[in-house]
Amino acid sequence: MGLSLGEQHFIKGGIAQDLRTDGRKRLTYRPIYVETGVIPQANGSARVRIGGTDVIASVKAEIGRPSSLQPDKGKVAVFIDCSPTAEPTFGGRGGEELSSELALALQRCLLGGKSGAGAGINLSSLLIKEGKVCWDLYIDGLVISSDGNLLDALGAAIKAALTNTAIPKVNVSAEVADDEQPEIDISDEEYLQFDTSSVPVIVTLTKVGTHYIVDATAEEESQMSSAVSISVNRTGHICGLTKRGGSGLDPSVILDMISVAKHVTETLMSKLDSEISAAEACEDES
Amino acid sequence: MAAKPGAATPTYSPKLVGRTRLPILKDSDLDWSRPDGRGFHQCRPALLQTGAVSSASGSAYAEFGNTKVIVSVFGPRESKKAMVFSDVGRLNCNVSYTTFASPTIGQGTDHKEYSSMLHKALEGVIMMETFPKTTVDVFALVLESGGSDLSVVISCASLALADAGIMMYDLITAVSVSCIGKSLMIDPVTEEEGCEDGSFMMTCMPSRYEITQLTLTGEWTTPNINEAMQLCLDACSKLGEIMRDCLKQAASASEE
Repeated sequence: MGLSLGEQHFIKGGIAQDLRTDGRKRLTYRPIYVETGVIPQANGSARVRIGGTDVIASVKAEIGRPSSLQPDKGKVAVFIDCSPTAEPTFGGRGGEELSSELALALQRCLLGGKSGAGAGINLSSLLIKEGKVCWDLYIDGLVISSDGNLLDALGAAIKAALTNTAIPKVNVSAEVADDEQPEIDISDEEYLQFDTSSVPVIVTLTKVGTHYIVDATAEEESQMSSAVSISVNRTGHICGLTKRGGSGLDPSVILDMISVAKHVTETLMSKLDSEISAAEACEDES
Repeated sequence: MAAKPGAATPTYSPKLVGRTRLPILKDSDLDWSRPDGRGFHQCRPALLQTGAVSSASGSAYAEFGNTKVIVSVFGPRESKKAMVFSDVGRLNCNVSYTTFASPTIGQGTDHKEYSSMLHKALEGVIMMETFPKTTVDVFALVLESGGSDLSVVISCASLALADAGIMMYDLITAVSVSCIGKSLMIDPVTEEEGCEDGSFMMTCMPSRYEITQLTLTGEWTTPNINEAMQLCLDACSKLGEIMRDCLKQAASASEE
């Protein structure tokens, strides 16, 4: 990001005075637009635009076998692809590091602890027959245009895509011996909507100088010293936290960031919910 | 590896000042007692040695209970000609597991994640400007995985970097805390990690009292996070002292 010294001072000084370059306050998000059902072949999909950042998330469900370590749970895999259309440096293997960092952070926020506590997606609901058949959810995120705050946008897109996801009902046909695969019948007519009441939202707080901002643009991100991405669910509990950026942070600063994130989440969660239901209603009409 | 004669294995246990906690039960009648008989706020005894690999610029071996890790550091070495000139140094990290590290053959997926997390933990603390145009390679090998693998790898890597003479702002130490039910346990072993409700791993610079990396999974309330943070900071500073003693011993041994 090529910024002159004057521009850098302008950005930092503006943030210190609670007036960012686009006129927002430190804790204000850019307008968020959500569209659902953008990919008809996927079980669920959504496109989210936050300012100049544009991402698409899609959810595909396939029949699979539960892993032997956790036979009573389904599986979820999150993959993120940073397309070269967003940044020329993403072409070839350039975007791999960023993609895996984002995928790891999202997986951490959505899947909770090893025992499943605090998970946004209830893996037990993906089970069809214990030890034999389960749903494998493949959640793919595609970054089309990047203007900062990719993680929040992807988190919102995944939340919207999961709300839009319809998993077909499965009837397990016959009772078979333990070592054989049971016959399954995937219904074409009946679908189950995914329960997304516990899917968290992700808020990234970027520290520039001594203040934190929410929803940083690419310019502001280039001036950051560090960023903390906090995922908070509906009950106000923290479901995941990742610190990014190299410089160290005082522990009191991190605790302060957590309380700021909780405060911001309340408005963000209600905004996202209303946008998602508006998008679903729009899709139902068309 | 035999312990050096006369060196007792030091234990570091953080203390919560003025509070004694009764272990809170997960399912009300079951008492979670730790498999190795430690208290909830007691870390495993740490064995740290430098100079384990003679052909490397610096190396360290760490044994925390059943988790055994060896880290070797090569560099600063000339960057490959294909790489673009850079006036700060480059860091290349790799974490791999031996095939016999865990009871089930093949750990597979963790390597790339751990390598990038180790990279992130170290890049904030190494003074990259002191070795422009060159690369420092950090290779970590987990010989046996007994729980809290990444924390041990990070602490051992910073010891190996110190042994190699790479300039850093401070030693970094990493500790993880597991949440099972309502109780927090520091330095979990594999069985505890397998059924935890939440995990908290923190890397910090003990002398500067700064946190360089923090990852959290599972559901946590703010008071729990507060407590976990205090536990980790306390344990990290004690581990930092143990690491310094190890380096001083190595330095005085080489002078003899």
